[in-house]
Amino acid sequence: MTVQRVNKILLIALLSVCAIWLIIPFTMAVLWSLVDPSEPWTADKVLPPVMSLFRWTDMWENSSLKSALIASYTLAPSAAVLSLLLALPTAFALGRISFPGRELAKMLCLLPLVVPPFITAIFFTSLLFQIGLSSWRPGAILFAHSVLFMPFAIRILTVSFEQVRQDHIDAARDLGASHWARFKVAYFPALKPGIFATLLIVFIQSIEEFAIAFIVGSPDVVTIPTLLYSALGQDYVRPNAAVLSLILVVPNVLLMLILERLLRSANPTLSSGKG
Amino acid sequence: MIKSLLATTALLASATMSFAGDLSTMSWDDIVTQAKEEGEVTWYVWYLRDDFRRAVQVFEEEYGISVTIPEGTAAGNSEKMLAERDRETGDIDVLAWGTDGFATVDLAPLFSSLSVLPADDGRVVELAGFDGGEHVVAFWGNQTGIAYDPAHVSADNLPQTPDDFAAFWAENPGKFGFNYENGGSGPSFYQNTLRVVADIDFSNGEVTDERLAAIQPGIDFFNEHAENYVVTASNADSIIRASDGELWMVPAWEDHLAGLQNRGEVREEIKFYIPEMGMNGGGNGVAIPLNAPNPAAAAVFVNWLTSPETQSMFNKDFGTAPMNTAADDSFALVPNEQRAFRQVWGAQPFRGEVEASFIDNVILER
Amino acid sequence: MKLRRGLLIIGLLTPGLGLILALIGTVVYIAVSQSFGYYSLNGTSEFSTEFWSKMAGRKAFKRSIQYSIYIGVFSAIFSVALAYPLAIWLRKPFAGSNFIGAVLKAPLLVHGLVAAFLFINVISYHGILNQFMQWLGIWSEPRRLQNDPNAYGVLILQTWKNMPFALLLLTGAVQSISDDVLDAARDLGAGTWDRFRRIIAPLTVSGMQAAMVIIFIGAVADFSFQVIAGPTNKQSLSQLMVSFKGRGDWHSAAVVGVSLMMIALVGSAILAVVARMVMRGRIK
Repeated sequence: MTVQRVNKILLIALLSVCAIWLIIPFTMAVLWSLVDPSEPWTADKVLPPVMSLFRWTDMWENSSLKSALIASYTLAPSAAVLSLLLALPTAFALGRISFPGRELAKMLCLLPLVVPPFITAIFFTSLLFQIGLSSWRPGAILFAHSVLFMPFAIRILTVSFEQVRQDHIDAARDLGASHWARFKVAYFPALKPGIFATLLIVFIQSIEEFAIAFIVGSPDVVTIPTLLYSALGQDYVRPNAAVLSLILVVPNVLLMLILERLLRSANPTLSSGKG
Repeated sequence: MIKSLLATTALLASATMSFAGDLSTMSWDDIVTQAKEEGEVTWYVWYLRDDFRRAVQVFEEEYGISVTIPEGTAAGNSEKMLAERDRETGDIDVLAWGTDGFATVDLAPLFSSLSVLPADDGRVVELAGFDGGEHVVAFWGNQTGIAYDPAHVSADNLPQTPDDFAAFWAENPGKFGFNYENGGSGPSFYQNTLRVVADIDFSNGEVTDERLAAIQPGIDFFNEHAENYVVTASNADSIIRASDGELWMVPAWEDHLAGLQNRGEVREEIKFYIPEMGMNGGGNGVAIPLNAPNPAAAAVFVNWLTSPETQSMFNKDFGTAPMNTAADDSFALVPNEQRAFRQVWGAQPFRGEVEASFIDNVILER
Repeated sequence: MKLRRGLLIIGLLTPGLGLILALIGTVVYIAVSQSFGYYSLNGTSEFSTEFWSKMAGRKAFKRSIQYSIYIGVFSAIFSVALAYPLAIWLRKPFAGSNFIGAVLKAPLLVHGLVAAFLFINVISYHGILNQFMQWLGIWSEPRRLQNDPNAYGVLILQTWKNMPFALLLLTGAVQSISDDVLDAARDLGAGTWDRFRRIIAPLTVSGMQAAMVIIFIGAVADFSFQVIAGPTNKQSLSQLMVSFKGRGDWHSAAVVGVSLMMIALVGSAILAVVARMVMRGRIK
């Protein structure tokens, strides 16, 4: 069997899985978003009995959606970049220098991920207030998210640093390359996928985080999850949640495409080439 | 030098401001005047925010104080209140929380005294087995009961006692569901069933091995019929599955059901009643955090919220049980003769232990 | 020289690990103290081991530990097992590979809560799956699939949400293996499986470990999928913690929280070691 044939078969198999993977959930979301408030959509009906764009216009006009979109889509990318920058030195140390206690350090880096959420919500935010961050709410959220989601950045970038090949670094040095040139030639290509993954993951964690962004930000700064949790809380309104989630998918896809474009140009397989 | 002087005076000013925040020395008229100067109040309430935003317009017009109702959730609001309790000035002027929620914290270190409000004997501070003392006053009274689908269950022949329910379960297996967490409707149902079947005195909060052992007949009752009822995930899950036609009968909160019906989320046909065996009433209170940014406006708002006029309006608009004895209660969602079956939540810590035992011996044994 | 090296390492660790230890370390300290009776929100703060000893005797606690570990381990294994072949397949670009990559990553962009509600919708009693199976004539009447007792629903959701993450990490790792190595192996007569276990597995083990560990930690502490789609006759540790908090028993909630923390850390260490042994053991 040729490679092309394998790919073709796999492609067809995958596309059918995709139907289950994506098409069904997204179609359901679209249908739910169209449910008119005059008649509920009960599960025994295949399609909503009355469909309209009421939920869309209502959500767009009568909620804090616009300001929440701006807040979330400024905060999350910034948190991703800040987290990346803060994590780089640690990841370099963990990935390229061997020292006693390295495994312990790796493990301690995971701490923010394992602290119980209600403790973070009450006591971590209280700590943020105490160090005086409450006067600038977006800054406080940004800082909190960068720290809380840094474990993702550190773990991912550590793996990337491990994959940088020593012979590339040596070769670059032997050729008299400056620090910056060495980084560009030897490190960056191997780090690229890790940087992409880090930015994407921290961005997504930040844009989904509710408790801290709410406690620190409310009432002035409203983020998307606050609206989402409100819609899925006590007044559980599924059509509104569907509208919100669909609105969210659009900028997310755009951002992911931009990121991929920025980082794709050098595929490490090709650039590390015949090493 | 000048700078540091300015800073000191600013500090002093803020200190006097916070003294001004101590309203206990002021007359009510002065408080109202200060409230108007503050000009705004932020009310953290965890449900029906859209409706409340409409309802408070009356207050805004009357006092010229604008009301902000931020988006949020019950857990989020209360955690925010706890997180910022050490801040000099917080963000929350008035916090609405279930009486069950208020019962999980010490009130005095967190909330201002409401003794500054003008005297009104009609206000309710003891509700659903909770005593708000001088810190919490009730503004929302609601009731658990059973929501049913009249297409399958005849309104003339509704189960009224645990035995009736057992008979319904046996006749219609898999058509009755209740939640044991994520909301109080299911717990109200199983605790009242336990109370009737095992003859438990829930008003006594004392925990002894003997008292806990005495609930066994109730545990057995649920285990005997385990095959015939369903356990749902939450208040909302119960109601939605009844609306979808999967379940025919589920415990629910009357105001929650009405709210979901108004939003076009649940079928209008679903009906509600309180069985004769009794189910619990519940409620929400409001309190003013000690570091409220607009303490006078907060006090004026709480006074308005709990007044007979506002409570009559809530009764008319939402069908809730008024939380001022002087209010009109003629618009309830359930007839007042059924309201007589209202029960009070069990006293703690006994109730908590019963819940833990129910989870251990019924839920985890399924 | 040794001192300089030490200072360099400390300097490098400061903005990352240092910041984490300073801020989150404090919070961890509070959590642990609270589990021993301090930081009380409704009563006096005093040292007590009662909350731990009482908790250790609770049936619900032991069940929750087992259940949460089950969810954590299987979510991590399923996500990684599914991501591996896909990452290898997508290693070299071909027509449509970008599109497939994007489709596979799409679940990352859907909020977990929304995913859970859509899933419940699909499998509900009168939902589309039940209707489809009845239409095919395979099922004669609707089946109750929601909140299934084996937590397949939670595992499906966890895998749906986390597989893309594993894929992202593994794609990076797999792509950094140079073609020559694989070509050389092929020239030496190594089959697909041999190439996987002798070259790809050992060279991607740290990426795989990172994915495993992070997914495990997330899934072991799962709350939102569990309360919506999880079995109603089991409680996850997070769920148990929230139920204690709801009863005003903050100290017991902290006990569960601290246990969860330890399970997450120890569990992820064990998982990492086992994964390494499985992957490396074969080549020796």
